[in-house]
Amino acid sequence: MSKLHQELKEMIIEVLDLEDVDVEEIIDDEPLFVEGLGLDSIDALEIGLALQKRYGIKLKSDSEDTPKHFSSINALVALVESHSTN
Amino acid sequence: MVHFKLEAWSAMASGLGSEEDWSAWFSAPSIPDEPIGKEALKQIPAMLRRRFKQSGKCALGAALPILKEGEMIPSIFSSRHGDIEQTLALLEGIGRDEPMSPTGFSLAVHNAISGLFSIVRKDMSEVTTIAASKGLIFQSLFEAIGQLQVSKRVLCVIYDIPLPQPYSISTESDPFPFALAMILNGAAGDPYNLQPCEQSLTDQTSLTGDLNTEALRFIELLTGKTSSMTSSLSGGNWRLVQG
Repeated sequence: MSKLHQELKEMIIEVLDLEDVDVEEIIDDEPLFVEGLGLDSIDALEIGLALQKRYGIKLKSDSEDTPKHFSSINALVALVESHSTN
Repeated sequence: MVHFKLEAWSAMASGLGSEEDWSAWFSAPSIPDEPIGKEALKQIPAMLRRRFKQSGKCALGAALPILKEGEMIPSIFSSRHGDIEQTLALLEGIGRDEPMSPTGFSLAVHNAISGLFSIVRKDMSEVTTIAASKGLIFQSLFEAIGQLQVSKRVLCVIYDIPLPQPYSISTESDPFPFALAMILNGAAGDPYNLQPCEQSLTDQTSLTGDLNTEALRFIELLTGKTSSMTSSLSGGNWRLVQG
């Protein structure tokens, strides 16, 4: 697990009050929403806000790419990496 | 005079759940010093449980024991101040010019707990939420009695937490987080009636000082420690009597 993978998992646990979930339980390539971790639409907004606060990433809620960026931890890592190299 | 029947009730606060707990507590009333623990909601899936703060935990902890799994029932959720700690946290964030947490916002609205409750129980029956600055218990009873005209049974859940600073200097609130749940039934249950009364009546109660609240006097009545109580609502005084 890269440092960024670890960092994003810790961020999700913290901002979503997932007090019963460990970092190891969030699988890099598994879906975060509905099946997999089981997050819902309010969680998506909360993650969006956290990405904006911590990494300065602004996502448009009506963009077709947004669901893709939120599909898994791997996708979120790719999003943060592409933003920091831009 | 209006009559109603009480099918079941349950009240919850830190360390207090059963009727025996409350009965013992009224012999020597004091403010519980522990916060509401995680154990209150073990039956709720963890992904939903994380959304329940103190008042939500009390409300569900009181309501779930008197409901059968899967039964559909209209409900009334009443709270004077609601989840005021959430609201205050949001306002403080606005003051610091921070973007607002969507979760925090969704949980601060007055019908947040009833919404979570309907999701947990998959019950799509109608929900009413009430806030009253005076006589919350009696106002809730009047609403429930009104709803019994169209429903056979109505669930009524009343909850509040103490006001945090800076609000606590401006008005009174309940001394510790609690919730009370009851099912009013049009046909069967323990009979009660509500009647208008003179303002000068003083309730017989073991409660004194900050503990002498409408809600705690009502729970005292439910445990059978007293047989009547009064409450002052905007525009009138009412007396609740068993029988």
